[in-house]
Amino acid sequence: MKTIKIILVAVALFCTADLSLAQNINWRGINSEQNHLLNLNVGLDFASNIDLGYGYKLNTNIPILLNVEFSLPFGSNLLDDFKVKLGGQAELFTVENFSFTVKAYGVFRRYENSLTRLLNFGSEFSGVLGYYKPSWYLAAEFGFDKAVTTHVKHSVLTTEDFPDVKDGWYIPTAGNFFYGVQAGYSFESVDIYSRIGKTITQDLKTTALIPYYLQLGLITKF
Amino acid sequence: MKNKNSFLTAMKYLGMSLLYLLIIGSTFILTSCDIMEPDKPGRLVPKTVDEDPSLPSIIVNGAKLHSEAFGSPSDPMIVVLHGGPGSDYRHLLRCKEFASQGYRVVFYDQRGSGLSQRFPKSSYNSVQIMTDEVSGVIAYYRTSPTQKVFLLGHSWGAMLATIYVNEYPTAIDGLILGEPGGFIWQDVKDYMARVFDLGILSESLNDATYIDQFFTANEDNHIILDYKYGLFGASDSNVGNEGHLTRWRAGAVINKALHCLGEKENPNWTKHLHMYETKVLFIYSERNKAYGYNYALKVSSAYPNVQLFKTNGAGHDMLSFETGWKNTYPTMLSYLNNLK
Repeated sequence: MKTIKIILVAVALFCTADLSLAQNINWRGINSEQNHLLNLNVGLDFASNIDLGYGYKLNTNIPILLNVEFSLPFGSNLLDDFKVKLGGQAELFTVENFSFTVKAYGVFRRYENSLTRLLNFGSEFSGVLGYYKPSWYLAAEFGFDKAVTTHVKHSVLTTEDFPDVKDGWYIPTAGNFFYGVQAGYSFESVDIYSRIGKTITQDLKTTALIPYYLQLGLITKF
Repeated sequence: MKNKNSFLTAMKYLGMSLLYLLIIGSTFILTSCDIMEPDKPGRLVPKTVDEDPSLPSIIVNGAKLHSEAFGSPSDPMIVVLHGGPGSDYRHLLRCKEFASQGYRVVFYDQRGSGLSQRFPKSSYNSVQIMTDEVSGVIAYYRTSPTQKVFLLGHSWGAMLATIYVNEYPTAIDGLILGEPGGFIWQDVKDYMARVFDLGILSESLNDATYIDQFFTANEDNHIILDYKYGLFGASDSNVGNEGHLTRWRAGAVINKALHCLGEKENPNWTKHLHMYETKVLFIYSERNKAYGYNYALKVSSAYPNVQLFKTNGAGHDMLSFETGWKNTYPTMLSYLNNLK
């Protein structure tokens, strides 16, 4: 029963994110024949990461891009920590060269060290307001990343130290706001972009150990 | 008009999605009996003495401290000061062995550390609160004014012992210091930088920082912060330990608070050490790459009379693992017996 409930919540989160929106793109830099976007970026996002993503642009009245992103922190154990985002983004309105885009993701995260393993389902919502030209853009972004529920399984090292430690699902666990700027340059079928900004936890007072994010990325469109 | 309709349609879907998420999420939370709140005592971290009355405790200066003592109450007293700030005495329990050699061995978890009572970050407004606590613990266990008192401090505990001696140069009959981070704030900072020189792409650093998207808490949510800080202890560093260091519970708030105090006050705890003429046993380890002979010489030179001792085959926590203990205990016992 517990597992079914968890799956229900996970599916709900992912479906919700799918209906809404996600990837740094220049809507003005995509032509009507380019529906596929491949994204690669490196940077800092709670750790040093490399991200790989794929996006598909829908032929709808408002521009919508569905995408999936896989993010991997650097380190000697490659797959012990990672994050998968599934969702999309939609350009809600434009006024001349100004544009507002909303993004929403369902997020699955994994973390492991010698003491514990964490599995988390969450969501990320953000808005991007910027000035977009066919060959470049500059935008401000603001968003919230919520770790809704986290499954904790401790290692033998921990259970030996603290035999009564409780493995299982914990809720709620984390929330981080983020805000910053992003800019990109588009040429032919390639965009290069960067994001830089700050994170602050949901109490609006404390910060993460790395309270900044920075990304340098490349998108190819086809 | 087309833009307006598209906007309304998108907002409708977004609104419905959020409503759907709220309904499903609320239903899930309300009907589930298997979901736990992370900030309830005893789930992710052990309960403290104020939450679990079965734990041995004493009350000192208004704080309930996790504490135990071994040996005859009237024997010369060794007060063991653990590291951190925010660690606990669990991994120093080998020091109980002194009790069989005619010593009263006193352990306590400092306030906000281990299983002792937690306090808000704002309560740590001076390091004096820590030295007052040392005085209070000595007063609690001392059975007569003539009973000798030795301090055995490890890492931050060795710094605290020095801060105490700097403040009360005639109060202590002997001093054993295991790799104190430093007695001048800049030395402490330099040493910490060497200890945690992990590299931006390292697994250890990412393990320490990546968790911030799984658990967040306000600055006085001790349970969550202690849990995260305890996981940080799993990170490799350059200190050369033999294995996993056993702890009860980390104290994240006191750790951060005392670091902030150091940054703010830039202290120098050496000004009166020249008045302490008793020989100090200063221990450093062979395998701690961040310490070494030269740094041990530099730090210990603040005392006028020092016996410098290298523990072979051990890292920073030389008193916690078998090899380090075996290689250090005889020297410590000999030192204490000479002053007994």
